[in-house]
Amino acid sequence: MANNTTLHQQLLCSALEAIINKALALSLNGTQSLYPLEQKNLVVYLAELGFPLSFIVNNSKVLVTSLSENPDCAIHTSVKTLVALKNEQSLTELIKQDKLDIVGDIKIAQQYANMAETLEIDWQSELAKHIGDVPTYKLTQLSKKLADKLGFAVKQIQADSTEWLVHEKRLVVTSSQIAAFNLQVSELEIHTETVNDRFLAIEKALLNRSSKQFAVNSNKDSSE
Amino acid sequence: MSPQDQDNQENSTHFGYQTVDKSEKESKVAGVFHSVAAQYDVMNDLMSFGIHRLWKRFTIDASGVRPGNKVLDLAGGTGDLTAKFSQLVGKDGQVILADINSSMLNVGRDKLRDRGLVQNIEYVQANAQHLPFEDNTFDIITIAFGLRNVTDKDEALRSMFRVLKPGGRLLVLEFSKPEQELVSKAYDFYSFNILPKMGELVAKDGDSYQYLAESIRMHPDQDTLKEMMNNAGFEQTTYKNLTGGVVALHKGYKF
Repeated sequence: MANNTTLHQQLLCSALEAIINKALALSLNGTQSLYPLEQKNLVVYLAELGFPLSFIVNNSKVLVTSLSENPDCAIHTSVKTLVALKNEQSLTELIKQDKLDIVGDIKIAQQYANMAETLEIDWQSELAKHIGDVPTYKLTQLSKKLADKLGFAVKQIQADSTEWLVHEKRLVVTSSQIAAFNLQVSELEIHTETVNDRFLAIEKALLNRSSKQFAVNSNKDSSE
Repeated sequence: MSPQDQDNQENSTHFGYQTVDKSEKESKVAGVFHSVAAQYDVMNDLMSFGIHRLWKRFTIDASGVRPGNKVLDLAGGTGDLTAKFSQLVGKDGQVILADINSSMLNVGRDKLRDRGLVQNIEYVQANAQHLPFEDNTFDIITIAFGLRNVTDKDEALRSMFRVLKPGGRLLVLEFSKPEQELVSKAYDFYSFNILPKMGELVAKDGDSYQYLAESIRMHPDQDTLKEMMNNAGFEQTTYKNLTGGVVALHKGYKF
């Protein structure tokens, strides 16, 4: 039996429930967005998980379980598609492509999505409650500086990579070009060796010929 | 076996490793739970390293509870399952938290009220063997870590069967027999050497936790409990081992 899977499943549901309710408790907009969802059940089947995630609202709290019976709205999809859903216009396209299947009241899913979008947390105030105002201010400034530097670095990397893609990449020798060059060098080496051999042969022939000529001339001189 | 021996056997039961008179067990178990009630939740978290919360969540998922259902959380103790069921059945549903032990019931009631869970929960001090409810009352009955403390388990199962609606289901979450020998040995060592010391240290009551370990060993194994549920009238009875069989969840339907 898949004991571990069962407990991991429960652990995930438990963690999700704690995170969602903590975020709702910290949200500046309160839990008003939950009122229309009271006792409404949304079940999400993610291809990556293999078990359903069921969300139900009770008394301004979200409960996360694996109960999948009689939901008000059920969504069959994947994490990748959920990310693509941020763009509302892609909804119809994703359904057409069979990447998203919605059964039941789509308004429930939209209200849950709306709840997630309206979450607004004042992290500075929350942090100040724990570590004090001054450290929070300094930490915020430091994180802003880091974020600016990181942003600059990202922009720089993007600009450099664009430059490289648009201009430098064209100049870079490709592997097939290197192979062709290597082939040409090898052929040239063979040609050079052949020419060299021919030179040597000619040189040898010339030497033989001049030595013979020298011998004939010497014989002529001695007979005279 | 002489008629007198047979009579003695029928009137006796286990209290941990001790054999006691059936009439005695109830008060002895009551003594244990009166003693541990205040520290029950802390000890549960310590003893199971918090995993009991996941076992209970799994029980909720396996129950198939829906808004509007009527649920009996038997031997519900400090109300972990009741809290979750109360939120899932909503204002149209109802959850009865029942326990034979008044101390446990009081701790559970205080805890749930502190969490603002009041609208659909009722508290009943009840003996699982003689449930004070009409026939066919509940959609779901759960008994988590309670059945092994019941004096006559067969009678309790029959009583649960009686008060379940047709189509209703009983879920028994209880310590059981580990599937692997190695796990079993490690578990035995932990139960008899560490658990009572932990109980002594935290709850100042080592004896109660010694009883806990002994009562787990005396509880029927997975297949025996399944058979007992079938004998009580339940159908399609199944069980699922959790954490290597340290705990098992039995589920049976009344049709």
